[in-house]
Amino acid sequence: MDVTCDIFSKRLIISVLWNIGLQAVIAVMLVGFIQIDILHPVSWISSSINDVFGWKMSINIVLLGLVSFFQAYIYGCYYVKPLPKYFTRFSMFLSLFCAQNIIFSILYALSGYFTMSLYSSLAKSNFNTLKKICENYDGQCLLEQSLFLQMGGMWMGLYYFLNAHIFSPTTLTFPHIYQDKFQQIKLAIHSILSCGFKSSIIPVVYYCIFYYFWGHKPRNVVSDVYGLYLEDKPLDNILNLFGSGIWIGLWFYTSLFLISVYAMRTVFNIVLTEPMKFPIESSKKLTLHKAIAQKSQFNGYLGTQDLKIMSLTDTVRRKEIFTLSQPGGHPRNWNNLLQECLKIVNDFSKELDSINGDMKPVEIEMLPKRPGSSITPKSTLYTGNLRNMAYSPQLHELKEHNKNKSEHTLISAIKEEFNILVQRIRQKPGISYLFGELTDTRLKFLLMQAQPVMWTCEGLAFIAAASLKEDKYGVVQTDLPIVISTLINLKQNLDKLTKPGLVPRKHILNDSFALKMKSALLSSVKLSIYKIVITFSKYIHEIPLDPDVQIAIQPFLICKEA
Amino acid sequence: MSIFHSFPNLPGPEETAFCKLNEVYCCGNARYGNISTFSNATKKHPIINVTRDLHHHRTSDENISMYIDVEDNLLKKITSVWYKQGFLEALSVAADPSVNRESPTLAVTASYILKVANILTAFRYFLQPHLKDIGPKIVANYSRTRNWGQVPVKCLAWHPHTTKIAVATVDDNVRVYCSEVTFVSTLKCKAQGHVSSLNWRPLSASELAVGCEQGVIVWTVDPNLMFTKPSSSNAVLLKKNGHSPVTDVSWSPNGDLLISCSGADTSMLVWDTAMETAIPLRRVAGGGNVFARWSFDASKIFTATSSIIFRIWDTKTWTPERWCARGHRVVAACWGPDNILLFAAKGEPMVYALTTTSLLSGSQTTKATPALDVTKVELSSGEPVGGPILDMCWDPTGRYMAMLFEESHLVAVFCTTYIMMQLKIDPCCFVTGVEDEIPCTMAFQQNFNDGACLTIAWSSGRVQHFPIIYSESY
Repeated sequence: MDVTCDIFSKRLIISVLWNIGLQAVIAVMLVGFIQIDILHPVSWISSSINDVFGWKMSINIVLLGLVSFFQAYIYGCYYVKPLPKYFTRFSMFLSLFCAQNIIFSILYALSGYFTMSLYSSLAKSNFNTLKKICENYDGQCLLEQSLFLQMGGMWMGLYYFLNAHIFSPTTLTFPHIYQDKFQQIKLAIHSILSCGFKSSIIPVVYYCIFYYFWGHKPRNVVSDVYGLYLEDKPLDNILNLFGSGIWIGLWFYTSLFLISVYAMRTVFNIVLTEPMKFPIESSKKLTLHKAIAQKSQFNGYLGTQDLKIMSLTDTVRRKEIFTLSQPGGHPRNWNNLLQECLKIVNDFSKELDSINGDMKPVEIEMLPKRPGSSITPKSTLYTGNLRNMAYSPQLHELKEHNKNKSEHTLISAIKEEFNILVQRIRQKPGISYLFGELTDTRLKFLLMQAQPVMWTCEGLAFIAAASLKEDKYGVVQTDLPIVISTLINLKQNLDKLTKPGLVPRKHILNDSFALKMKSALLSSVKLSIYKIVITFSKYIHEIPLDPDVQIAIQPFLICKEA
Repeated sequence: MSIFHSFPNLPGPEETAFCKLNEVYCCGNARYGNISTFSNATKKHPIINVTRDLHHHRTSDENISMYIDVEDNLLKKITSVWYKQGFLEALSVAADPSVNRESPTLAVTASYILKVANILTAFRYFLQPHLKDIGPKIVANYSRTRNWGQVPVKCLAWHPHTTKIAVATVDDNVRVYCSEVTFVSTLKCKAQGHVSSLNWRPLSASELAVGCEQGVIVWTVDPNLMFTKPSSSNAVLLKKNGHSPVTDVSWSPNGDLLISCSGADTSMLVWDTAMETAIPLRRVAGGGNVFARWSFDASKIFTATSSIIFRIWDTKTWTPERWCARGHRVVAACWGPDNILLFAAKGEPMVYALTTTSLLSGSQTTKATPALDVTKVELSSGEPVGGPILDMCWDPTGRYMAMLFEESHLVAVFCTTYIMMQLKIDPCCFVTGVEDEIPCTMAFQQNFNDGACLTIAWSSGRVQHFPIIYSESY
């Protein structure tokens, strides 16, 4: 397990370093931008250089580094673990208040506060301190604008946390092609900037509304604690708020905060999703099949992605797969790989099957077992003239007798009653709303993890297709039937989801991401089957396949499968 | 001595070429002759004839003046123009004193806003001059189809695995002809305007990418369903700001990625069509990307820009190698087996070959050499041939190459052989139209087993299948 965390933590550290660099660039740009003075370019440049190399900047960068470390920690927490399962509203609701979330929200609020005050200090605004010397009285007065800004910073931190982690799932999305890191950052900068300035409008509006209703409370608390006078007009009045112009400042600093957070997120995404080359055979490093075996974890993603890339482009490593192990002459590399790949695909099919089939038990419950109904199959069993001891009707009765006996004990009856009671309580409107399983969550949850399955299918198909020319020993050819039937099985299970009539109404997805994922999965499975079938079209009748599978691949052979 | 003098003689005045059977150039009477007298190879091929009466009427830029104006009130007029043609057009309507007689203040403000907008756009065009041409003009400018805006067939594409062809007609409908079924599916939806390119998805039976003005439309046409007009719910429009009009779409041979190019956008987009996400590949130098071509093994991509620069992308690292053509932009390019690339620059009668040779040391060198000179000559019959190249096609086996010329009405087909790192191009035959027909666009069938089958769309709307059949024993 040590090796598994190794890759991830190494990447996290790299991304933190990248982040600090990028944040420094943003800060320097901000300093240059704020002191812009076209009439005196020399003094502009010299003063910005002074600021850039001043102590404020270095503290800023240290703090930003801390913030990005803490972000890295949060991302680590979210990405290393498999996705949590919440199928009912109640468990979802409870999960909102787990300790992790509470700690994270506090940390985010703090980081929002720090980033905001850092940027405002870099911008040389005078809203860094809460106090100022009164103009009319003797003593110190509260500078409400700075209170407004600092609370705004915390608000933004919380707002971002809620938006990015609670109300939308945190999954790593791997880009379908991977360019150079620097190129990706260059491409992303434009969208980060525009997105930052645009999406900061809504939280600022929310905050202004919040401050209008609740702003007097923190103001009173702060002025009481520090013993400050109130001199200026209060900001929880719409006219004063607009007149002071502080909302423009808040919007600007919020945009900066969001830009820096988005930049961090982008950098993490870029560094973490970099494809990795796993060796096929190695005693020290993590090999490909072991990486694939850690499915639904970070390494599983990297492994399956590497499988696909390898199957498409890397002839050297493909050759390694097709070789036989030296003492013994077994295709060990291929067998290991195949086993893990089939396990991923089969597990997924099984899950799908259980989702497709979960209406059936209910139907059985609806039709109670009538003793008379069991006679008909018995009579059909005993049609031939031959006496068959193994299938004698007495034996059948004997078996059923045993079964009935075990079912009719008292405890099981109580259990059954209890289960029915629980079921019935669950059906009640209010309770089913809270505790009932949500309609599409299970399917959605499954589809969220479909990405490695897609890569595995395509990887398997392309390795199989490459084997026609590259595989000298016929290592892959012996396993072709099982590969084909596994893929066909997955495709049929997926088809059951879409075919009307067969699907119970409850599996209608309304989440656009899951819908896209479903179509992506289906098209990738079809592509894999097509790849194998078209490559081996001349020899397809020589591959020993089950009759069912043979029928299922017919439309693929004549290119009629949509 | 030009290469064209060693071609077989053109068919007689009343005759036309039908096919080439084992080195025999088969011609027959243009009116009564039939290809089935020579070969049965294209017997099941769909017969395509795009005539004017098939077209559906639509309001295009040319015929919009035909409609009689209806007096609407001003607000309605402005909103409808805004909805149909955009904000700036709406402003100019509001500013036009002949239309807007009701509120002069609105006219004055609109005219001032229009002035500011004009200054901004002028500044933008000063920075990015390639954006000046608007949609259809860009497509017409860069299209490899002759007279793209007027000819009945705008472009055509063969399916990579079955005998199925998609044809984009002048009314921007896409018709799918199939060898097994008699009916024709017509694909059309509202967003599908100014179709520039078509491409079938490899390793799939049903998906067709259509490049049009707004973006890329990916149609999923179930081959088992008997609909002549599939609804637009089968189409997914993929678009992105600034990526318009799309001048070319091409699928990766592995069937997983789709590249779309726009002559007005410096980045080309690599789409994951199921997830509807695009990753831009952006290189500013050279202006907009006109078209992209995948090599057969999907390891390389050729992209031509609107200037002399063209690039060869490596798909492992997604980094380009930059090349410069001499004088003009690259107008046509095609990959052959062994990653050999033929390309031609605009206005130049020369085909270049780009070959990659692996040295013994493991490093690779790529060089471009002139491969074929097609300077314009006059044949003995008086017909001009050669000159600047309009389009080139190479058949999937790499044995035949067809070429269209800007100033000649003949289609020239060459035999190509690539042995011992040497590309040899020999004359094969000409294909001529009946009467005054001009070839507009062409494509090789992708799954023709008996040789190669060139499909040519003529200006009359006739689509001809010209098989070149060879048997190994011959």
